[in-house]
Amino acid sequence: MTRSVHLAIRQALLEQRSFWRSAEYALFTFAFPLMILLLIGAANAGSDLPGTDIKDTTVFVPGILAFGVIVAAYVNLGSKVAVLRHDGVLKRIRTTPLPSGSYIGGLLVSTVATVIFVTAATGMLGWLAFGAVPRPGELLALTAGLVLGTVCFATLGLAISSVITSAESAGPVAYASFLPIAIISGVFDPTFSGLPDWLSRLVATFPVKALAVVLQNAYAVRPFPAWDLANLGLWTAAGAAFAVWRFRWHS
Amino acid sequence: MTDKTAVHVVGLRMSFGTTEVLHGVDFDVRYGEVFCLLGPNGAGKTTTLEILEGFRPPTGGEVRVLGLDPAAQPAKLRERAGMVLQECGFPRQARVAELIDLWRSYYPNPRPLGDLLEVVELTEVRNTQVRRLSGGQRRRLDFALALAGDPDLVFLDEPTTGFDPEARRRCWAAIENLRRLGKTILLTTHYLDEAEQLADRIAILRAGRIELAGTTHEVAVRAGLATRISFTTPSALRRGHVPLPDGIDLSVRGPESVCHTGNAAMTLRLLLEWARQNSLGDLDGLAVTAPRLEDTYLQLTRTNGDHA
Repeated sequence: MTRSVHLAIRQALLEQRSFWRSAEYALFTFAFPLMILLLIGAANAGSDLPGTDIKDTTVFVPGILAFGVIVAAYVNLGSKVAVLRHDGVLKRIRTTPLPSGSYIGGLLVSTVATVIFVTAATGMLGWLAFGAVPRPGELLALTAGLVLGTVCFATLGLAISSVITSAESAGPVAYASFLPIAIISGVFDPTFSGLPDWLSRLVATFPVKALAVVLQNAYAVRPFPAWDLANLGLWTAAGAAFAVWRFRWHS
Repeated sequence: MTDKTAVHVVGLRMSFGTTEVLHGVDFDVRYGEVFCLLGPNGAGKTTTLEILEGFRPPTGGEVRVLGLDPAAQPAKLRERAGMVLQECGFPRQARVAELIDLWRSYYPNPRPLGDLLEVVELTEVRNTQVRRLSGGQRRRLDFALALAGDPDLVFLDEPTTGFDPEARRRCWAAIENLRRLGKTILLTTHYLDEAEQLADRIAILRAGRIELAGTTHEVAVRAGLATRISFTTPSALRRGHVPLPDGIDLSVRGPESVCHTGNAAMTLRLLLEWARQNSLGDLDGLAVTAPRLEDTYLQLTRTNGDHA
């Protein structure tokens, strides 16, 4: 058991070193959320949402936190595993006695590390630039939300990797499968509204908005997000089932 | 099967759907030898290897690798057998030594890092990222990873396919280094010169059957090819001043005289005796050429070309 954990951590360390060596990966994953945060902040920051006394910063800062989690866990892990499979790296791993659990575990540990870096940077910038901080006593809830979001989107990342058929399309497929949903979920724009009723109900079934709402709850007083937590749990279960069902070691 | 057998294959059959691709393959690989499975593309070489590596359960027959059943005990097998598959990539941003070191951590008794780098001649690029390596260097890194756990047996699936002559030569040198470490090596190739250069024993696999097996020489002899003996035609012979030797099928082809024989020693003795009797001296330019694998292979392909 300890050996499996040790092997997973060694694997994660190589993944992390590779990640930071690859400029484009690191830049997009790390700098993209920060850039968007600054752009949205420049356009909105400081006013209350129309008809409420909720500050817009307490909505879009956690929204971008959710975005960062999704990019780091879902897009990054999903396209990474697709490329590893396409390049035959997964096949090569199968020629060694390394337990599958240690290998996948290593990829997940590395993903968690990336999420922590991205989230910490986004949260700090949100605080320093826009004064957005979690409500007193809600830090634990925020952490729990981030953990649940990471688990959910990492699972979905593993699932989507099995759908991606080439290394070239890995990034585009991963982005295209969530970015439109993120936009109409209002992750980038706290005042976003005016969707037809059916569409906003459809959007609410996806885990993107659910994660944003769960994290926003830690920043501003809102109704307890029971539905959104359940939503994330259901997507995690569905993603895990699909990932296990369709996982292949070779392309 | 004896204790000296690293790989034991009897009556191996494999079908994909209704198509049978291996029709009862038999061969043994002894410990410490380099064994080559030679055959054209589509002969079933890779399928055979995948069965031996435990990636596919066979449809029928018996397979033992290092005394293990590969399909039933793949994890155990992988601790003791290194595998170089075709077209297996690397993590792109990893550095050479770093990757080998990670691979070493997968095994209970790894070989030392410096030793591995030396065997595959990658010491100079130890800190280079894998994506910057040439094709030949990558293949040698394949070897290093397959060797990381200090395996008893190494599988090499078409190790030099698509390489330029220089890269092939260095690849062969690396395989020679593996041999010197006492590793048992089972390699597949469709290059004759590669089999001839590297293998102690060869099995020719064609259309899912072993056509011939043995040492390079045995294979050639069993294919019915004779040793070629030639010498410069002495002027007395060319002018018809001496009779042709008895009991030897000698043909005079202008400046060169040639005969083929299944018993080189006997024929040579007769030839030299004939030369002495006719005062032809030691026969200038006398050459004895062993049957070549290429001749065997081409002959097989020509005569049995219809059941591919």
